[in-house]
Amino acid sequence: MSDSSELNAYFGPKRDERPLGIVLDGSLSTGLQVKLDPRYAIEKLAVGRYIVIQSRKTGSTFFGIITDIALGATTPDLLHHPPDAADTFLLDVYSGGVAYATLHVSPMLMLDEEDDQPRPIKTIPSHFSAIYEATAQDVARVFGEEDDEHFYIGTPLDMEDVQVNLDLARFVERSSGVFGKTGTGKSFITRTILAGIIRSGLASTLIFDMHNDYGWSVMDESGREYKGLRQLFPDGRVSVITLDEATSRARGSKFDGILTIGYEEIEPEDIELLASLLGLSDIQTGALYFLYRRLGKKWISKLLDEQYEEEVQNILESGRIVGGTLGAIQRKLESFIPRMGFLVPGEGSKVVTDIFQRLNIGTSVVLEFGNYGNTLAAYVLVANYLTRRIHASYVHQKNLAAGKKGEEPRPLVIVIEEAHKFLDPSVAGHTIFGNIARELRKYNVTLLIVDQRPSGIEDEVMSQIGTRVTCLLDNEADIRAVFSGVSGASALREVLARLDTRQQALILGHAVPMPVVVRTRDYDQRFYAAIGIGEPIDSAGSKQSGADKLFPD
Amino acid sequence: MPESPMMIGRVTRCSTRGFVGAMQISENALPVFGSLCQAEAQGGRSYVVGLVYDISITDDQFARQLAGLDEVPQEQIADGQLNRQVPVEFSALAVGFHDDDGFHQSLPPQPPLTLASVFSMVPKDGIDFTSELHFLQMILNAPQLPVDELLATTLRLSAQARPEEERERFLLQAGREVARLLAQDLTRLENILRGLRAKE
Repeated sequence: MSDSSELNAYFGPKRDERPLGIVLDGSLSTGLQVKLDPRYAIEKLAVGRYIVIQSRKTGSTFFGIITDIALGATTPDLLHHPPDAADTFLLDVYSGGVAYATLHVSPMLMLDEEDDQPRPIKTIPSHFSAIYEATAQDVARVFGEEDDEHFYIGTPLDMEDVQVNLDLARFVERSSGVFGKTGTGKSFITRTILAGIIRSGLASTLIFDMHNDYGWSVMDESGREYKGLRQLFPDGRVSVITLDEATSRARGSKFDGILTIGYEEIEPEDIELLASLLGLSDIQTGALYFLYRRLGKKWISKLLDEQYEEEVQNILESGRIVGGTLGAIQRKLESFIPRMGFLVPGEGSKVVTDIFQRLNIGTSVVLEFGNYGNTLAAYVLVANYLTRRIHASYVHQKNLAAGKKGEEPRPLVIVIEEAHKFLDPSVAGHTIFGNIARELRKYNVTLLIVDQRPSGIEDEVMSQIGTRVTCLLDNEADIRAVFSGVSGASALREVLARLDTRQQALILGHAVPMPVVVRTRDYDQRFYAAIGIGEPIDSAGSKQSGADKLFPD
Repeated sequence: MPESPMMIGRVTRCSTRGFVGAMQISENALPVFGSLCQAEAQGGRSYVVGLVYDISITDDQFARQLAGLDEVPQEQIADGQLNRQVPVEFSALAVGFHDDDGFHQSLPPQPPLTLASVFSMVPKDGIDFTSELHFLQMILNAPQLPVDELLATTLRLSAQARPEEERERFLLQAGREVARLLAQDLTRLENILRGLRAKE
């Protein structure tokens, strides 16, 4: 007969026959209360661990996560009259009986043998059902195998041999978010996910790279260098377009184009989002539209250039705008626009069409801001400017496709950092980013927002975020925001608040079968090899298959 | 039937909840408070398991007269203690029974009959019987008995009957069971738990 190690190799390790505890109380909405078997040391358990609950009556298997651990006593007298700490016998007798530990467990899925895939739960296990620590096999069954659409993002805590795979098709299907305090590895996780999306060919990405984190090589705090997406995909699947040629050259970054925006291409809607950053009042913001209507496409030049003073003076004389308002607008634009080297008089590099075409053939575009990334207004202006126009192109293309006069536009994920600047409650209602987040996949465009202050993002937008990848957050309002619109989220708050500051994230939502805490995979040589640098691309094929997979009839 | 049990008396009064035995035996052979014994029942098909909770020696006319003397000769004392007119009585609480299926920790279906033989329980059977602890609840529920002392003594004796390396584990297990049953009365619980270790 085979020994146990041989059997384990074939069937996987056997579940510990001794349950962790039994279910005593709870509900579907609030989770289950489990009394820990006194033979287990509470210190060896941790929030975020996976458990399996074996229903006592039906034999059904539930899969869940430990969300809290607590101490209890059968009588409040114990708190007033605790046993003598030196009396070890008394302490041993009381432990686990009169004084006990409880686990709060959130059941998430059902894992019945007859089902191919885990199912979301609609009921809970009966009283006294036994709970066990999940085996690697159980966890692997929940998170599936890595394939074209499932991207290995990390491993569950304490289970280094098990992969957690992100369902990329679902990830790009709706807007998603990566949240976390500064220095918790948001950019690394985002870059990892983007590499997965680009490799899968499920969607193109347009990345507004504020801090030059995504396109070319990037260094961490210790000075170690990591490859950017352009280096990971040297076969043309990623283009870098820079706003700051000098900085890009100085960094040795390879780029495929330079973005300039002509004054004549700027519309009041592009400036409106900058109102708070430039200090424009509501009246001044409203006046922008009037000035654009009166001065035409060259409105910016006319407001900034003294040679048009007479024409501007005529507007004043019309009495529709007061001198103070006009002067303030001129001063504020004067302090910003001429300092931005990528804003040029006349027409710019007509880059919108180029970017749209690149995106539509499956090329992802990283917009490198260089030193302009330090100017938030520049970032907001460019992101808003391009997104509005790219989105308009997508709407047009989608309408053509609906009328059978064109192809479906390729799914697009727009990546923005400092997202709360675009999705602040005061502006989200009427900005393109708010619209994209709300309209879901209607025009094949979704957002991937990267932010350290999710509480600054409008609630309605947050509730539309399909998948949330959250690194450590400790601000109460931010934690609340991350969980807005997520049922049973309160139980996960403890899990989130106890993440490590590095390489750990809680992923929940559309792209994972259940909330999961992962140690994100290392972004190193092994990752580069796994991504397959230099893999040839079949852009036409992958474009169609991507669209088909994401948006089936 | 337990191996080499010692007969310690015969039943004089009984009910399903317990029995009283009487005996004419030496001091060394007296049953001990808190020890287990067995009385034949159902024509020998079963044995009622009893827990000795009281041992009483009532007086007789001759003993009273002797007690009034200034000096009692040693021969008279020995005669009075060994050849008593009224035998020593012991009371046992029924905490289970033994039949063809082994030990059961519940009240016996029938009590032993008058003059049925009562035997001490051999250590092996005692260990077997106390491997389950459901009988503790029966002790706790017994009215007008020195329940706490009885509980502590029984468990202590049961631990002593076990090999030394098993004693602590047994006491811990028993202590947890008592704690489960008396979780709402910490003062009482703590007294019993102290009693468990009193003569370890």
